Amino acid sequence: MSKFIQLHLLTSYPPANLNRDDLGRPKTAMMGGANRLRVSSQSLKRAWRTSDIFRSALTDHLGVRTKEMGRDIYQQLLEKGVKDQAAFSYAQAIANVFGKLKTLSKKEKADADENKRQTELEIEQLAHFSPEEQQAITKLIDELANGDDAPSDEQLALLRKQHTAADIALFGRMLASSPAYNTEAAAQVAHAISVHKVAVEDDFFTAVDDLNSGEEDMGAAHMGETEFAAGLFYLYLCIDRELLIENLSNDSALADKTLAALIESAATIAPSGKQNSFASRARASYILCEKGNQQPRSLSVAFLKPIGGNDLLAQSIQNINETVKKMDQVYGACADRRCSLNAETGEGSLQDIIECISGD
Amino acid sequence: MQSYLLFRLYGPMAAWGDTAVGEFRPSHDHPTRTATLGLVAAALGIRRDQEETLLSLDRSINVAIRLDAPGEVLRDYHTTQVPPVQRKVIHYTRQDELNAGKLHTILSSRDYRCDCAATIALRCKKNRNFSLNEISEALAYPKLPLYLGRKSCPLSLPLAAIIIDANRLTEAFDQYPDPQSELDTLTHGLWGFGGLNKEKVTRLYWDSDETNLSPEMTYPRRDRLRSRRRWQFDERIEYMATQSATED
Repeated sequence: MSKFIQLHLLTSYPPANLNRDDLGRPKTAMMGGANRLRVSSQSLKRAWRTSDIFRSALTDHLGVRTKEMGRDIYQQLLEKGVKDQAAFSYAQAIANVFGKLKTLSKKEKADADENKRQTELEIEQLAHFSPEEQQAITKLIDELANGDDAPSDEQLALLRKQHTAADIALFGRMLASSPAYNTEAAAQVAHAISVHKVAVEDDFFTAVDDLNSGEEDMGAAHMGETEFAAGLFYLYLCIDRELLIENLSNDSALADKTLAALIESAATIAPSGKQNSFASRARASYILCEKGNQQPRSLSVAFLKPIGGNDLLAQSIQNINETVKKMDQVYGACADRRCSLNAETGEGSLQDIIECISGD
Repeated sequence: MQSYLLFRLYGPMAAWGDTAVGEFRPSHDHPTRTATLGLVAAALGIRRDQEETLLSLDRSINVAIRLDAPGEVLRDYHTTQVPPVQRKVIHYTRQDELNAGKLHTILSSRDYRCDCAATIALRCKKNRNFSLNEISEALAYPKLPLYLGRKSCPLSLPLAAIIIDANRLTEAFDQYPDPQSELDTLTHGLWGFGGLNKEKVTRLYWDSDETNLSPEMTYPRRDRLRSRRRWQFDERIEYMATQSATED
C-alpha cells in the first residue's frame, strides 16, 4: 500500500486579494530571495472545508438540498402517532443537527398561523442531505415513534457520523480541554506560493455620491485603496493515507471518498476573500499526483528561482517535471506511481487523478 | 571515532517555535533541538501521547545543528473564527461551526522563517534504545508526515540522511556531501551563488560537551523534555560557535 499521496497543483488567479493581512494587503512570503504572493494554508483549508463540494463529494453528489427537512420530519412523526408537541421538538432536534434553525420573535410567534409556526423547523441555510443521512433520519423517526424518549445525543450524532469523521480525519482536531478527542490531521497543506516575483499593486478608488448636485462640494463621497496582485500559485498537499484510514476507524471506502472530496475542492475551490470585487475564481491548470512510501517532499525548489518570461504556465509545468526527474536522479525514486492533469493541453482528467489516489 | 547521522532540513517556510504565550507565536532563527527530535519521532512513528518513548528518545540522542541559511522572518497575521462555547451544542463539522452565528475571532501573530536551511547531526549516546541505522531508515520511509516546525511547512528536499564516522563534530559536518552541489542542479545555481545564505559565517549549535569545540556563547534553554503530557520542560545549556563560510 502506498502510504503517502502527494499533490502538486498550479493554479492561476487573476488580480485578487484572496488572503489578507492586518492591513488588508494580500499576504506575501519571500522565496529564493524574491517576494512572492501567498495564500495561507489555513485560508485554503477553510475554503475547502466549507465548500458545497466538500460536503456533497462525500456522497456521490446525490441527495437533497433543502431548508425544509424539519417540516418533513415533523409530518412523518405526526403520521406515526407522535404527539404534536413532542413531534415538533424532536423534529427541531434532528434538523438542528444539519444547520442552525430559524427562530421567530415573541411577537411573530403570537401572531403565527400553522404554516408560520413551522418556520422554526427550518434551517437558516440550505443543507445537503445524502441518501445515507436520509435513511438514518427515517430509521431514527421509527425509533422515536416506537419509544417515549426524545432523541439522545448519541442518536443525533450518528446522523452526521460520516461527515464529522471525514472533516476531522483530514484536518485534525485539538481540544486543550479534552485531549482524548484530539485527532492528528492526516492532510498536510502547504501555503500556496506564487512561482514568480510579485509586486502588490494599489487600486485607488473613489465613490461618487449620486445625489450630490455638485453646487457646493464637487468632492468624492468616499476614497479608498484596495491592494491586489495576480499570481500563478504552486500548491502542495501531502496526505498520509494510512493515518487517514486509521482516523476513519479503518473504513478505507470512506477514506477514498474523503480523498476524492479533498482533491476536487483543492482543484476547483478558491478562497472567498474579496470575490465580489475581483471575481477571481479559478481552477487548477496542472495537477501532479504522486504515490509512494518514500519521504514526501514538496517541489517548491522548481520555483526557487522566480519564473519569468511570457509563458509562466508552460514554463512552470516544465520546471515541475524537470525537478521531479532530477530529484529522482540525485536521490533515487521519490515516488512509486505518478499521474497528471494538464488543463492547458487538455491531457488527463480530475477523474483520472481521483482514480489514481483511491485504493492501494 | 564517533558515528553521526547527518541530514538536511530545507523548506521555503519553517517555524522553529520559541516560548509562546498567548497570541504571539515567535520562531527562533535556527532549528531547535525539540523541533528536530519531533521530526525524528514522527519519522519513527512515535505518537504525541507516547510519553515514555518520547522521553527515551530525548535522553538517547545528542543534536547538533549547522545553520546554513537563517532566512528571513515572516510574521503571519492569523485569524480564526470560532463559535461561542455552549454546553450541549455539538458542531459536527467546520462548516457547522461557521454557521453557528455570533462567531468570535481569535487573533494570533505567527512567525515563520522563509528560505531557511540547516544541516543536522545526531549522535546516539551509549546503551540507549535507538540506533542511528534505525533513525536513518525511518527518515527515508517515515511513519508519519514530517514538517519543519508547523504542519503547513513541508520539507522541500529529501532529508538525504547518511551515517558518517568522524573524530569530531565539525569533521562530520565537513564530510556531509556538499548540499550546494545537489541544490545547484535543482535550483539553477541560485543556492551556490549565495542567493539564500547572506551571512558570511555559519553558526553551529550543540547540546552537550564537545571537547573539540570551544563555544563562543552558552545560554540556558528551557526545552529539555520532562513531561509532554503536562507540558513541562527543564533547563539545559545550549552551545554556539561560528565558522567563517570560507572554512567550509
